Amino acid sequence: MATTTATVSISSADLMPGSPLNISASSTLMKTGITTGMELMEMGNAEVAQNYEAQLFADGPATDNGAYFIYVSNNTTEDSTYYIEYKIHETVIGRLYAGDWMFVPYNASDGDAEIEVKALNGINKIEYAMFKSAWTLPAAES
Amino acid sequence: MATLIPTLTLSSTDATTDLLNFSVTDSLNITQKVIAPSRVTTSTGDLTLFASGSYSRSYVYLKNMDDTIAMDVDFGSTASFNIRPGEFAFFPWHASQNIVVAADSGTPVLEYAIFEA
Repeated sequence: MATTTATVSISSADLMPGSPLNISASSTLMKTGITTGMELMEMGNAEVAQNYEAQLFADGPATDNGAYFIYVSNNTTEDSTYYIEYKIHETVIGRLYAGDWMFVPYNASDGDAEIEVKALNGINKIEYAMFKSAWTLPAAES
Repeated sequence: MATLIPTLTLSSTDATTDLLNFSVTDSLNITQKVIAPSRVTTSTGDLTLFASGSYSRSYVYLKNMDDTIAMDVDFGSTASFNIRPGEFAFFPWHASQNIVVAADSGTPVLEYAIFEA
């Protein structure tokens, strides 16, 4: 069993006068059942063309509440106004502007639960990772 | 205007033969509403944590504080995360759908914060 740890810290010196903000949270990434550490991951970089809607992560096995974690970062540096819009299950959740990142658990719970990204304002460069409970390689073509 | 610095670190010494150890950070301008870390007791009924009409582009932090019970975080009628015990999420939210929380069972506590850009 592998141990993969995710830690987030969120800080600000000037958000609330006289009271610096310091949030810290950490968790070990566990497979479905929360007793065994995740060992499977897929990482990469991609360019998303303007107005091109891409499937970043396909829906997973049809397992309710399957355990996955998603990391996506918009590493575009050309222009701070560039962003990608991300959707889950065809629902727009948010925008990752240049430099923004996200880390979320992901259900992949049915055949329509893919995560899609669409670039606005030019070509966006993204970095991504998915941590998985299980994975089966596609069958070879006969 | 205030500056928010979120940082994510992912690490493992044994997930692969190559060490996993990377960190990403950002610098966000926060100009609107803020809810600093707060906690709410959830139940199996839907709880609207953040109403879309009350926010614009925002950044959301969520953590399930319970040791055993997971909870669903829904956006509209189909998109959702399932945050298991001890897990967290940090993501940008464009406020096009309400964020609604419901526990899988019992009354687990959710820690949350929101920062409106």
